[in-house]
Amino acid sequence: MPEIQYREALRQAMTEEMERDPNVFLMGEEVGQYNGAYKISEGMLARFGPMRVIDTPISEGGFCGLGVGAAMCGLRPIVEFMSWSFSWVAIDQLVNNAANIRYMSGGQFKIPIVFRGGNGIAHQLGATHSHRMDAVYSRIPGLVVVAPATPYDAKGLLKSAIRCDDPVIFLESELMLNDRGEVPAGEYVLPIGKADVKKSGADVTLIAWSKCVKLCLKAAGELAAIGIDAEVVDLRTLRPLDEQTVAESVRKTHRCVIVDEDWPYCGMGAGIMERVYALTFDDLDAPVRRVCSEDAPSPYNHHLEVLMQPSVEKVVAAAAEVCYR
Amino acid sequence: MPTEITMPQLSDTMTEGTLVKWKKKEGDAVKQGEEIADIETDKATMPMEAFEDGKLAWIAIDEGQKVKVGQTIAVLAVAGEDPAAVKETALAGHQAKAVEADLPASESPLPQELGEEGATAAAPSEQVSPAAQPPAQSAPRDASAAGGRVAVSPLAKRLAEELNIDLTAVTGSGPNGRIIQRDVEQAAQHKPGATVKVPAAPSPAVAPLPVPAAPAMPARVGSGKKEVLAMTKIRSVIAHRLQMSKQNIPHFYEMVDIDCEQVNGLRAKLNESLEKQGIRLSIADFLAKALAVTLLDHPDMNATFDGQQITRHGDVNLGIAVALADGLIVPVLRSVEQMGLKEIRQRSADLIDRARRQKLRQDELSGATFTISNLGSYGIRQFTAIINPPEVGILAVGSAEQRPVVVAGQIVVRTMMTVCLAADHRVVDGSTAATFLRTFKQLMEEPALMLA
Repeated sequence: MPEIQYREALRQAMTEEMERDPNVFLMGEEVGQYNGAYKISEGMLARFGPMRVIDTPISEGGFCGLGVGAAMCGLRPIVEFMSWSFSWVAIDQLVNNAANIRYMSGGQFKIPIVFRGGNGIAHQLGATHSHRMDAVYSRIPGLVVVAPATPYDAKGLLKSAIRCDDPVIFLESELMLNDRGEVPAGEYVLPIGKADVKKSGADVTLIAWSKCVKLCLKAAGELAAIGIDAEVVDLRTLRPLDEQTVAESVRKTHRCVIVDEDWPYCGMGAGIMERVYALTFDDLDAPVRRVCSEDAPSPYNHHLEVLMQPSVEKVVAAAAEVCYR
Repeated sequence: MPTEITMPQLSDTMTEGTLVKWKKKEGDAVKQGEEIADIETDKATMPMEAFEDGKLAWIAIDEGQKVKVGQTIAVLAVAGEDPAAVKETALAGHQAKAVEADLPASESPLPQELGEEGATAAAPSEQVSPAAQPPAQSAPRDASAAGGRVAVSPLAKRLAEELNIDLTAVTGSGPNGRIIQRDVEQAAQHKPGATVKVPAAPSPAVAPLPVPAAPAMPARVGSGKKEVLAMTKIRSVIAHRLQMSKQNIPHFYEMVDIDCEQVNGLRAKLNESLEKQGIRLSIADFLAKALAVTLLDHPDMNATFDGQQITRHGDVNLGIAVALADGLIVPVLRSVEQMGLKEIRQRSADLIDRARRQKLRQDELSGATFTISNLGSYGIRQFTAIINPPEVGILAVGSAEQRPVVVAGQIVVRTMMTVCLAADHRVVDGSTAATFLRTFKQLMEEPALMLA
């Protein structure tokens, strides 16, 4: 199986879907002439031309609205955010329009659109460009939220997202784009709403998604060294949540740590924790623990930026705590 | 606003500290940076400084008390505040908290409290017998359901129901005494007749031997009797000090056998002539005398070490380990190198006697430069002892007994004694300890050398 970068996996998914369906097109800042701010859409303008790979002005509210309108008219837009932090200025289009039009039109319109881009804390982008939008969109009925952790998952899920008839919030990370992983050459899709057990274990369930999955796998390695067999559940889709996989895992291990880089209060992990308690309370041998970022704006200083986020050490400590070790 | 002074964290690993000494009294003015107390941490005793100017309004804990890091130990009245009023407010707040903390305890008999306090205070040998619990015993459970709470994880609670385990009889090992899965599983294993799911053993490769049908045997039911004892003050001190010693001091041990024929002969002769004076020397007196001479000869062993520097002592102050009903105490025989055997006998007898009656003064319990621990009278052949810091050595003495030994190619019966020296490897090395023991052995085997 060829090993490719996360960014190539995204490009393959978009390219394959655009070849498959003439209604699919890509739009966003720098996606065309500049070949993508992070080179995800490299070569796509040359391949598909300016009618299907469209450079937009710096006006998220405008081009997101354009995308929603295009989707209402039957096209399948892929809208790239240079950073998900910029979606704050387009939130009316995403939440009020994309998420609600199907419901408010009594099903007369569907909105098959994908909004995608880098989410969360990258590297010294400061407080305004380091937002984690996971919880912001996962709480909105009418949206689908996907956050894959590996190139394989990214390609399979982006293809499913493009084919989905509802608006999909697709969360990537600038820090994962260079990650390499095995991706089959041929056509495949992965189901939205299905978590993946990245490592099975018996003693504690580590729940994560996106780049925290990698962190949890490292932590699981260190936990093994102290005799704790951790299971790593990669949610992959945040909405709808794969409650079955989560519950099965926690019922097996009786202990759970949720790891994400969101803030603690009302963060994504808080919502998942509520689900874990609701589903598995009688199976828990310890309170669910969360490892998340500190309740503060993201610092520009790199040391502080690292310090405020989850780390392998923090995950190991939390897992040891719920195992009463 | 008055300032609360809390137990500071003086080292990375410190979780609690003992207030060794207050250097200020209530009402005293203190300056920022001035030492107000000595705090004993897990590692050392360190001075604690005031962080701001003011008057010490209230001292919340007594000297010798141990509290957690972060707990209030005193309250400082700052400029313009009346120390007496500040103390009153602080006391009132403290008492309110104490009452709050007491309430649930007095109303609801939590299992761990029954175990730790109730059992010792009210019913010292309360029998906990799950098999035959009298009906009256079910009352606390109802009470706990109504008012108090048993801290238990949801899984442990469900397991207890499935395995029919009474949670009020289970001690929780989780935080705040929370009963968790493993506690219930352990309780189930000890419960007569309980079926516990045990992972199936791998099937053996060979066919098992046919087992004759077991005759019906009555189940052996343990009484479940147990007694929970609070640590006495002396046990706490022993636990703390000896754990600290064994954890921090790299002990090494050297043993040597001593032929006691000559010393026994001398002892018998001396005792004959001392009988009129009512004095009877024991072998311990010779050990003390020989040790004094040996220690003067090997000052490396007659030393103390504070972690920074080694102090060699010119006096031999011999600590003598004395067993008490519950514990151990080490009175100090000072300047033993200046004493003859008779004086050693008289003074050590007095010390040991007063030690057993707990009539020793504080200065008779400190300042030892070396310790001897003798279990000879218990018939112990040989043992290792834990160094009493800051000393660098301790001699563990076994009983003098008849043993077959080889002398000049012949097996003969001699009275032998084995001693074991434990030494601090930070301060002395194996050869130092070995030459020390060699001298000691020579003196014991040829006691006349002590006169030389």
